[in-house]
Amino acid sequence: MTESNFCGRTRREFLWQTGAGFTGTALAGLLSDDGFLDRQTVAADGQTAWKNPLAPKKPHFEPQATSVIFLYMYGGPSHIDTFDYKPKMKGMDNKTIEVKTFGRGGHRNQGRIVEPRWNFKQYGECGQWVSDLFPHKAEMVDDIAFIHSMTADSPIHGSAMLMMNSGKILSGSPCLGSWTTYGLGSENQNLPGFVVMLDPRGGPISGAKNWSCGYMPASYQATIMRSKGTPILNLAPPEGMSRETQVKLLATLDQYNREHQATRQDNSDLAARIANYELAFRMQTAAPEATDISQETAATQEMYGLNGEKSGTFGRQCLLARRLVERGVRFVQIYSGGNHNDANWDAHGDLEHNHNLHAAETDKPIAGLLKDLKQRGMLKNTLIVWGGEFGRQPTAEYAKGTGRDHNSYGFTMWMAGGGIKGGTSVGTTDELGSKAVEDRFHVKNLHATILNQLGFDPNKLSYFYDGLDQRLVGVEGAQPIQQIIA
Amino acid sequence: MMTRLSTSLMTLLVLSTSFWTATGTASAQSPAFYKEKVLPILEAKCFDCHGPKSELKGGLFLGNREGLLEGGESGPSVDPDALEDSLLLDAINYGSYEMPPDSKLPDEEIEILTAWVKAGAPIPKEAEFERPEGHHANPATLVTPETKNYWAFRPVADPLVPQVTNSDRVSNSIDNFILQKLEAANLSPVSPAEKQKLIRRAYYDLIGLPPTINDIEAFVNDESDRAFEKVIDKLLNSPQYGERWGRHWLDLVRYAETNSYERDGTKPFIWRYRDYVIKSFNEDKPYNQFIKEQLAGDEFEPPTPDSIVATGYYRLGIWDDEPVDQKQALYDDLDDILLTTSQVFLGLTMNCARCHDHKIDPLPQKDYYSFLAFFNGVKRYGVRSHESVEDASIGPIAVNAEDRKRNDARNSLDRELAEHDRKINHVDRRLQELMTPPEKEDFQAVEVRVDIARKYVGKGLSQKLVSDYAEAVRRRQEILDTRPPEVAQALMVKEVGKTPRETFILVRGNANVEGARVEPSFPSVLSPPEPIIQTPSMTESSGRRTALANWIASDENQLTARVMVNRIWQHHFGRGIVGSSNNFGNIGDKPTHPELLDWLATRFMQGGWKLKAMHKLIMLSSTYQLSSQSSQKELAADPANNLYWRFNMRRLSSEELRDSVHAANGSLNLKMGGPSIYPIIPQEVLAGQSRPGAGWGNSSEEERARRAVYIFIKRSLVEPLMADFDFADVDSTCPVRFVTTQPTQALSLLNSEYMNRQAAVFAGFLKKKAGADSAKQVELGLTRITQRRPTRTEVDRGVELIESLKKDGVPDDVALKYYCLALFNLNEFLYLD
Repeated sequence: MTESNFCGRTRREFLWQTGAGFTGTALAGLLSDDGFLDRQTVAADGQTAWKNPLAPKKPHFEPQATSVIFLYMYGGPSHIDTFDYKPKMKGMDNKTIEVKTFGRGGHRNQGRIVEPRWNFKQYGECGQWVSDLFPHKAEMVDDIAFIHSMTADSPIHGSAMLMMNSGKILSGSPCLGSWTTYGLGSENQNLPGFVVMLDPRGGPISGAKNWSCGYMPASYQATIMRSKGTPILNLAPPEGMSRETQVKLLATLDQYNREHQATRQDNSDLAARIANYELAFRMQTAAPEATDISQETAATQEMYGLNGEKSGTFGRQCLLARRLVERGVRFVQIYSGGNHNDANWDAHGDLEHNHNLHAAETDKPIAGLLKDLKQRGMLKNTLIVWGGEFGRQPTAEYAKGTGRDHNSYGFTMWMAGGGIKGGTSVGTTDELGSKAVEDRFHVKNLHATILNQLGFDPNKLSYFYDGLDQRLVGVEGAQPIQQIIA
Repeated sequence: MMTRLSTSLMTLLVLSTSFWTATGTASAQSPAFYKEKVLPILEAKCFDCHGPKSELKGGLFLGNREGLLEGGESGPSVDPDALEDSLLLDAINYGSYEMPPDSKLPDEEIEILTAWVKAGAPIPKEAEFERPEGHHANPATLVTPETKNYWAFRPVADPLVPQVTNSDRVSNSIDNFILQKLEAANLSPVSPAEKQKLIRRAYYDLIGLPPTINDIEAFVNDESDRAFEKVIDKLLNSPQYGERWGRHWLDLVRYAETNSYERDGTKPFIWRYRDYVIKSFNEDKPYNQFIKEQLAGDEFEPPTPDSIVATGYYRLGIWDDEPVDQKQALYDDLDDILLTTSQVFLGLTMNCARCHDHKIDPLPQKDYYSFLAFFNGVKRYGVRSHESVEDASIGPIAVNAEDRKRNDARNSLDRELAEHDRKINHVDRRLQELMTPPEKEDFQAVEVRVDIARKYVGKGLSQKLVSDYAEAVRRRQEILDTRPPEVAQALMVKEVGKTPRETFILVRGNANVEGARVEPSFPSVLSPPEPIIQTPSMTESSGRRTALANWIASDENQLTARVMVNRIWQHHFGRGIVGSSNNFGNIGDKPTHPELLDWLATRFMQGGWKLKAMHKLIMLSSTYQLSSQSSQKELAADPANNLYWRFNMRRLSSEELRDSVHAANGSLNLKMGGPSIYPIIPQEVLAGQSRPGAGWGNSSEEERARRAVYIFIKRSLVEPLMADFDFADVDSTCPVRFVTTQPTQALSLLNSEYMNRQAAVFAGFLKKKAGADSAKQVELGLTRITQRRPTRTEVDRGVELIESLKKDGVPDDVALKYYCLALFNLNEFLYLD
């Protein structure tokens, strides 16, 4: 695992000593390594030449998408109230029927129908049915591919979220964003490669497990970005420290560190650490610049719903996502909903109240994001993914009310951009939406599709751990959803 | 009213018709039926994965009759003796399998395949395909004399110490093994390390803390031959040794204090396990005893407090309290225990044989389940509720019948107490509504409460309520006065009883598809003895784990001692003789010095499995005492230093970094043991929780300055400084930590609230100890950071910075604080030579 030497020095030291320094270009380009990363057993030797783990890397084949924005509808939106039109349920409200369901309330064989609470209309050239919850997104259906036949392994939030984010219901595996930065590195070393934005009401359950890099090194961990205040933890210098002071401090530090390194030329970690102070310093400027949305026109801000009472926060995050992707960030995940109960899409009580709220918060921002990316020509290589950890049941959870329990037997997710065929839909659920029946797809197929669009054979992108070549799609493997790929 | 939406009845009628017309049983045996009806379905729906041009998923080939009968990893597709129960039919009807996975076949196609299978699944010769090449078993995965002869599976040898030319570089036999390979490669070791660097290395290696300048100078001035040995002895006797080496063990057993998943609930009393580990290392407990206590300490006759707490080993993993499938979850948890046990103690990735035979090593699937059978009496951590956890995993540290009786008595009194409290609280609440303000004042005193209550008989309280109240108050006090003292509780292993659950091979690892029944046995490739299982008399358990522990901890086991001495080596040199220290199998790294490994393993066992003697042996070698300086020829020939021509530099671990910050600024609190501490976690990080701040406690500033090994480990909320500096992933066993270099580390050391707070403490310390003179402050600061006397230039550089900041208008104290912040960022602070 050792790099070739230049007169007994590694490539990295050669650059350093010949005065190339550690500019962004050097870090990003010259130091990149062709192969994939270190095995865990050689990471600690202090001898293997330092390689920037986030240097951009080439995937297996020419990618359709270079970035991903995952709009995570935490809690599980109801598919039959949003995109999965079920006309036969009309007039069935409150009728008790036989249907197998499995949610937090356990396995049931019958239930009381809650008729979808919103009207559906057909939109676009493709004629996709969309409910009144999403008047703005409805205008974009010709750019969207709907997967109506999603299935997942768990109808319980904790394990189902791990499934959607890391491909396994067991805790401990790296999530999608970590796999992406592991595979592709990052285009902009001054910004984190993998960013997560949270709902101000709180994180999702299991917190950081949802964006954990699991058994991969910390280089692939997510960075939480806030849409207000200091965007990233520890980004701002301590209160009262001026830029001049910081520069002086860093210059002194650099002198000490170079002197220390002078007699230890062969240890590239030392040089890398020295370089990282420059990088950190640049990040202090780059990240606030990236998150400064005052640079955006009023029209753009309006398009994202920034002025809306309910849509302001999510709109801001969507706009930030575009600005980040524009600057080379690989993977952005935004959570709609946080905390517990009705602070997210988990509509166990009053379905209408819950979904009206969360739809109002997200509809215009998401439509705005799609429009904006499209008008800037960015949609073609930015992959948008929308959905939650599962859908919801056709029947009521309790004797009274409209609340629906979880449903992992069938639900809808959609994708757009990044080489996805707009205006398509694939798969069906039964006439109640209780389970997927035709062209069923598993979360692994969704992950396989995302990796495929990023230029990877999902069954080949692997990381050696625990005696196995681990893959996001598991040892069994999974195929991408060809029907929605352009 | 019941309404059927489903039209399945309709479908059934229609199908019945088509069944008779399309698939009469008589014709199902004919070649034409296969070619015209069956084959098109197989080609369209099955051959992508199981056909002549596929990669044969699950090892299943459906292209010829042999393939059908042989089946795949799940067993034969067609069972000639019970055609209707054939796996193929089960799968297409979405039984225990769901095939094809994307959607169920249309009913008419299911009917065709069913008719064909029921007719015996004939395939005409001319319609058969060849099985694709390259799907035959790898001979390395079969248990044969050849595979048993693999280096790690052979008995541990006691190799002769080799002769070397350069004998003046030999301090002990370790050096012979190392020098022999260097000489063979025509390379030489670099010179010995300077004493200052050597002692710094030794301190961090053994106790994870820096020496003081006085420690160093005493060593440098000690010219006796035993100078370094004295240092080693002192460090090995220091209680901080157990905190450093115990932490290595905690990485391996994935020690954490919460369960992960939605609630990420706390594991009660688990800190006692950490204390047990630290204490065991400090006592130099023989490793074979350490193994037995953790794996089967509850079955000791009699158990000891340590041996009970040690079985917390079984309770360290993740736990889904709301699993999708209870049975699968049980096996997931058992797999987690098996994985950890086989990798940590044996260096075997037995977990890879859960769904099928191991693809690389000679570990058949049957061996996995025979091994799992040793654990198959263990109760799951809990089932949903906290009460279930108490029942399955919490118990008193009661080591004899008397303790247990005392504990039972106390528990029953505690339950009674709770009942009295309920009654008392009820009346107290009522009284609060009734009493006058002066009475409320009086009511604060316990003694008067019954009297006050009596006044309200008939005026809001019934006679009965008040007399019950009086009795409850009396009895409550009586219990408090007389109940036996509490027996401390621990998180521990418990079994379902004397008879464990039956163990079956699970087809493709699916808990709901049981194959053949198996009995406990050890991996066959190791030619092990039959396990001797004796039911213990004192505990409700099977005795199976004792049999396992005895085999693992035996001198005859080929792997145990090798694996452990390799870990000791790894933590001294930065890399094991076998780099993949949890995997000694075929896909693991080959040993760089196999003879040395065996020589060490033999010494380890002969010395009574004691670690401290091994540390001393290793550290007294010339190899350990080499400088980390480079040498052009050797670097070119062996850049990764596989031959140990020098010592490897290393960065401090996350714990060492944090502890060193506190050691430097004088705030380090060496208090040992007990429940965990909670550093302050920034709001930005807490915001990632669904209930920000939930499950994170408060500690005083003094407590927060304790060693990092005592930081509470919450699976869903890792302390950010620890995470940035590559703290172990705690969901599964971590044999080697990563050492990453990334800008977030620089940001955190420069800008975090924590580092700035510590820099201020450091500045205060320097002012107090060195007075107001900047040069003296800088000199002391550098000394405490680097553990050497700084040069004039280094001091001047610091003074220059402070002066220059002052000139800019930065207040004196703040300027010094910023300099201290710079000191915490020095490479020399973070790296050891």
